[in-house]
Amino acid sequence: MPDAVLPNQGTNKPIPPTNKPFSPEDETALREALKRCSPSAFEAAVQFRKTGNPEHVPAVVIGVIERFVEPDLRVKLKDADDDLRLIEDLGIDSLTMMEIVILVEDVLQMTINNDELRNLRTVGDVKTFIDCKIRGLTLPKPTKFIPIEHIGAVMPVQPPFLFLNEASVSSTAANGKYKITGQEFFLQGHFKDNPVMPASIMLEALGQLAVLYLLEGAPTEPGKVVSPQTIFFTGCEGVRAHRICKPGDILSLSIKPKRMKMPLATFEGAIRVGQEKAVIAEEITLTFGIVDAANAPVSINGSSAHAGSVGSSAGVAPAATVPPLRVAMNATG
Amino acid sequence: MPRVFITGLGFVTSIGNDAATVTRNLRELRHGFEVFPPFQKPEIPVKVVGTIKDFATNSTDPEDWTFPAGYKIRRELLRTMAPSGLFAQCAMMQAVADAKLAEPDISNPYTGLYAASAGSPYLLHYHNDRLNKVGVMRCSPLGIVASIAGTLNFNLIAAFKIQGSSCGFSSACASSAHALGFALDDLKLGRQKRMFVVGAEDGNLDAILPFAGMRTLSLQTDPNLASRPFDAARDGFVGTGGGVALVLETEEEVVRRGVTPYAEVLGWGQASDGWNVAISHPEGSGSAAAMTLALRASGVVPEQVDYVNAHATSTLIGDISEARALRSVFKDSGSRPAVSSTKALTGHGLSLAGVMESSFCALAIREGFMPGNAHLTKVDPECEGIAILRATENTAPNIVIKNSSGFGGANVALVFKRVA
Repeated sequence: MPDAVLPNQGTNKPIPPTNKPFSPEDETALREALKRCSPSAFEAAVQFRKTGNPEHVPAVVIGVIERFVEPDLRVKLKDADDDLRLIEDLGIDSLTMMEIVILVEDVLQMTINNDELRNLRTVGDVKTFIDCKIRGLTLPKPTKFIPIEHIGAVMPVQPPFLFLNEASVSSTAANGKYKITGQEFFLQGHFKDNPVMPASIMLEALGQLAVLYLLEGAPTEPGKVVSPQTIFFTGCEGVRAHRICKPGDILSLSIKPKRMKMPLATFEGAIRVGQEKAVIAEEITLTFGIVDAANAPVSINGSSAHAGSVGSSAGVAPAATVPPLRVAMNATG
Repeated sequence: MPRVFITGLGFVTSIGNDAATVTRNLRELRHGFEVFPPFQKPEIPVKVVGTIKDFATNSTDPEDWTFPAGYKIRRELLRTMAPSGLFAQCAMMQAVADAKLAEPDISNPYTGLYAASAGSPYLLHYHNDRLNKVGVMRCSPLGIVASIAGTLNFNLIAAFKIQGSSCGFSSACASSAHALGFALDDLKLGRQKRMFVVGAEDGNLDAILPFAGMRTLSLQTDPNLASRPFDAARDGFVGTGGGVALVLETEEEVVRRGVTPYAEVLGWGQASDGWNVAISHPEGSGSAAAMTLALRASGVVPEQVDYVNAHATSTLIGDISEARALRSVFKDSGSRPAVSSTKALTGHGLSLAGVMESSFCALAIREGFMPGNAHLTKVDPECEGIAILRATENTAPNIVIKNSSGFGGANVALVFKRVA
């Protein structure tokens, strides 16, 4: 029932730190509110309420989320990275999200606006969001989920050489998935009667995710956008393949920007299959250029424009992302 | 039109939380009443309730509740339940197992669920109180679905992934009898192949005590004397809660699945008094009309009826109205049918009553007995002329009527038949 979480009447101001000391009554109320959370979450909440130090906030937020996650899924939170998704990975629906928010509001003495909630998709989003609220900082761009149609519309790379089925991009990372179908043309020869995903193609997939990050997630100057025609591969370091990947495997790709300085962007990347490490790249470096938003061949910062604009991708110049790999592909194909 | 059978039952009641216990207590006329701790205050004149054993739901936070370990219910489901929701969930789990239903039998477009409850005055009160105290944006997002009148159907449809017909019924003490009647129609009309019918009530202070304002609750302090339908000394009803679930299936499904039904549901009828918001018609005109229509719909004449499970709640006016209705319908039936009110044992389950007592009829038909009318010392002269069963009779009734009546003068009669 989406209507239950609609227009917001709440305010969105961080509550100014009060000078009122944290009383024993406050502590009792806090203990009651957090009675189903871990003792560490309670301790962190006490420390935060006493000192106002934002460093204690993540432990409170994780403690509250954990309390609302079904016990058999809690193990995921134990060594969760910030990309753990609230809905898909933790089974948290929008009503549970409201329960989490109300408890966080209560224990941290803050007010959260309904509109802001809609953008919180991952554990990292929640932590960043609460942290920014408490410090009074502007919120970063939320994680954006990009369906296959949109990927096809914005990317210079196109099928049959596109190795992303879905992706999500935030200002600090991008994640994607690709399922090896077995129908990939190069698997006919790689290898004879033994289809194995080439490591070079997996590196290409990580490169493509980095391209998507540059187009959809990278911060740019106002009025400027990264031009899809300007992105090319320049180099990679520390590449190791750990696992043979075969048809049926779902590659979980992730990249994080390490350095961004025009015209170079360097990322670290990793591919997993389930919990197993498949490929690690310590550094993948791309070169890129920016153009005025008005001159961009396709709008790349809007979101609604993309959904229906798959056809316009034909007009995008088929610039190579990772030229050496493409050459390799042509040789195989 | 397809024939329809009862193939599964589940019970959380004051006289037992499983079919075997309920059957034994019905046969042996053991009641489920206790002095109810929340009523033990000088300002509360009512003392006795038909309590639910082995469940503790006296917290506004469902995660505090305790219930028998055999029921595994995820927090995701529990969080939107009122106490009645928990009772209904457990009754549904029993009924599903009893009817030997597999998941695909439950979740498909031809299986529906009708439910009846008055909602949860207890949680409604709590959540509205929170709203006033902590503000609109800080009250529970789940308060509504846990407490308003449709809470049972909302929860059960989601929990059991029901895809067919679903609806909540709200005709007070006739609610779940209405639900059963309309479920029967859905099956007879070929709209559905299987229907769950569920009734439940919190049975706590907030659900029961408001009836004291109407002076309809018994003020007896002795649990053995509090509920005395048709007795000259009766002084009102005893409240109860719980949950009961009943599975109806078409003959085709019964045959396909190879299950043994409890009883056939022949038909039903309903009629209204057109009289008063809360007082039943003095001559029981609506109740008599409902029985007559139900018999006609079932192709049965009054002389064929062996047993009537009466609505009789042990109130002064209601019992007399029903006795008069029975006299008028069965005036040519001689010493039959046998009549008893099992509310003498359970108390009055309000919305739950119709489906709970229909399920008692199903047990009686299959197990071969007619439960007596407990706690009857001297029949009210106004209620004479009907064959009230003083003790349990160990013969199987062939045709049974279940009566239910609710506020506004709504009357429902259901007709069941033994499977030969």
